[in-house]
Amino acid sequence: MPFDAFSEVPDEALLIAFANGDRASAEALTLRLTPKVMGFAVRMLGDRAEAEDVAQEAMLRLWRIAADWRQGEAQVTTWLYRVTSNLCTDRLRKRRGVGLDTIAEPEDGRPGAAHGLLEQARASALEAALADLPDRQREAVVLRHLDELGNPEIAEIMDISVEAVESLTARGKRALARALAGRRAELGYDDD
Amino acid sequence: MTMTDPRNLDDTELDTLFGAARAQAPQASAALLARVAADADAVLADRTAPAPARPGWLAQIVGGLGGWPSLAGLAAASVAGVFIGFAAPSAVETASGGYIAGDGYDVADFLPSYTDALGDS
Repeated sequence: MPFDAFSEVPDEALLIAFANGDRASAEALTLRLTPKVMGFAVRMLGDRAEAEDVAQEAMLRLWRIAADWRQGEAQVTTWLYRVTSNLCTDRLRKRRGVGLDTIAEPEDGRPGAAHGLLEQARASALEAALADLPDRQREAVVLRHLDELGNPEIAEIMDISVEAVESLTARGKRALARALAGRRAELGYDDD
Repeated sequence: MTMTDPRNLDDTELDTLFGAARAQAPQASAALLARVAADADAVLADRTAPAPARPGWLAQIVGGLGGWPSLAGLAAASVAGVFIGFAAPSAVETASGGYIAGDGYDVADFLPSYTDALGDS
């Protein structure tokens, strides 16, 4: 399928083309943005099924806003991350009323032929430690170090100052470094 | 193996973990992608669908009166009314107390008299 043809086209241009009735643009945006939203939601919620619901809902909101999208005001991805963040926060809040036992364990990294066992162990250990962080710290760390967004964009997504983002990521990283210290051996860090 | 407090991970070690996690980012399933694309189609279809046509003036009037079946009843009643007006059959005359085709009547005939009103108070 000719999705490669869209690889150079900015998200916003595709969104506007979609608003004007172009289905191919919607398909290109689906393939480009859904994985990002899904990855973020899985890490925020630690549950694949719930993350899929959130991802679908966030994308639906994008389709619905397309016709009223105001060009140049926000980046499509920033807007989408923000919507996803809010949807995840809502779900996390609702969960607080639910017993911890009912919450699914974070998924281990799926086995992939390209990744060695150590890589897998590292990824799963990190995901597990992330799941134990306070929600806001986890969100900031995921956006900064896994989605690799810049602090100003994260600030916009989380509706806080850049300084607050820096503080959250720093505290999150310190907590991760502490939490994972006991697993040095399985992470392959015992050589020195 | 000594059981001293394990040293916290340093930034480089953490970065390696982040790298490993990035490489194994959760994937969006084909089913999810299909649902998202279907939502886009549905939104597009909603937007491009023609607005439902407004009913014409006659249909609006008929609708207001309760639709065509009620109109049949209305027509029958109208015809009966016209017939009664022209023919003034004696049965109607009796029932109406002679008001229709008798000596004629005045609006005052239908109003309570002042004396009645005073007597009541």
